[in-house]
Amino acid sequence: MSTLLWVILVLIALVIILFIYYYNKFVNLGNRIDNSLAQIDVQLRKRADLVPNLIETVKGYAKHEKSIITEVTNARKALLAAPTIEGKMKAGNQLQSALKSIFAIAENYPQLKANENFLHLQQELSAIEDKVAYSRQFYNDNILDFNNGTKTFPGNVFASIFGQKERQYLQIPEEARVVPKVSF
Amino acid sequence: MQDRISFHDQIKRNKIKSVLLIFIIFAVLIALSYVIGMIYSGYFFFILIIGIIFSLSYTLISYYSSDKIALASVRAKPADYNQYRQLHNIVEGLCLASGMPKPKVYIMPGEQINAFATGRNPQNSVICVTEGALKKLTKQELEGVIGHELSHIANYDIRFMTLTAVMVGMIAIVSELFLRSLWFKGNDDNKKSGAILLLIGILLAILAPIVVQLVQFAISRKREYYADASAVKFTRSPTGLIQALKKIKRDSEKLKVSGAVAPLFISSPFKRLSNLTSTHPPLDERIRILERM
Repeated sequence: MSTLLWVILVLIALVIILFIYYYNKFVNLGNRIDNSLAQIDVQLRKRADLVPNLIETVKGYAKHEKSIITEVTNARKALLAAPTIEGKMKAGNQLQSALKSIFAIAENYPQLKANENFLHLQQELSAIEDKVAYSRQFYNDNILDFNNGTKTFPGNVFASIFGQKERQYLQIPEEARVVPKVSF
Repeated sequence: MQDRISFHDQIKRNKIKSVLLIFIIFAVLIALSYVIGMIYSGYFFFILIIGIIFSLSYTLISYYSSDKIALASVRAKPADYNQYRQLHNIVEGLCLASGMPKPKVYIMPGEQINAFATGRNPQNSVICVTEGALKKLTKQELEGVIGHELSHIANYDIRFMTLTAVMVGMIAIVSELFLRSLWFKGNDDNKKSGAILLLIGILLAILAPIVVQLVQFAISRKREYYADASAVKFTRSPTGLIQALKKIKRDSEKLKVSGAVAPLFISSPFKRLSNLTSTHPPLDERIRILERM
């Protein structure tokens, strides 16, 4: 009789431990995802902060490239106004492609191309592009870990108990894959 | 998932090994001072107490300042944030990709393409590259190299490797001092036991650095393959690292560093070393494995 009692007690303890383990695991993985999302946001914001400075520099040499300048300004505004991370990512990609056109245009303005401030901004913006890509990659790595956790056994049982569903990867929007067209 | 599990295992193993190393070296030092005390038996307790104090402070200093000792020994200087902007950007980007805090960035003189990481944990870590690496590597290649070093930081290789480097280096010096001091000790001590102790002392002094060195050789090879694989994971492409390793292979420059810190580097600073005792796996083998990825 007492042996049976012990067996039951041990089993209950085991189940409690498993519950605690999986609860903490999902909380930790979820926090990592949120944290990496915040990192993407930081990088997008840094990019937006550099834009006014760039516009000023470009205006000094290429005043009549109005359409491209407005495009950049609008994309920046959309980025800052976007409420969700998906919206921010999309606006961020638009901004990135608009910036690419600016740097393409700069080829026509030797003085602008030689401007030290412009060169510095160009370098910084391309570094930020890398960092956006890297933080997006880390975000997707964390999603992968999380999703693996919710799908593999016995994690899937606990995931359904705690109501943890599979999460979406960040997609790279179509715009980002298209090379920006520049007309001269 | 598999990758992450092995990553955690690697970290645990490195932490355990670091603790073991500290204790072994501590015990070796105490044993050494005991033997030395027996030889100069008149001052036995004096030597033993000095030995214990020395061993304690030596272990503590090794743990907390081994990174500074290693950096000082290669004359590395902090990389200015504005002057070395690209290097800082690469480090920051890869830290974002790996979710790690940004390590301090150092530059060391020398035309050879090389780099190493040191520190005791990711929060207190340093990445150091040679001037030659900055000059000769493209951005993509540099990313591969930095990714490799970041992986050493992430899985606590740096703690174990730097501790080994500094502790081994110091044992070598201490043992050497002991051996030299024997030349000045006269032959007036005719006791048999004295001669035996002398023999043990010499044996210890010779064996201690060799044993630790052999352990070090055995461990650092596997670590390099592992760090290569992680670099590919961080940068999502093996191309940069492959190109960098190929350039390192063609590089004929020499780097003047102490043998003790050599295993820290991404590739051996000394070019002509036999395969058996080399601290690094052959470059060709590493390139071959990377090309299969």
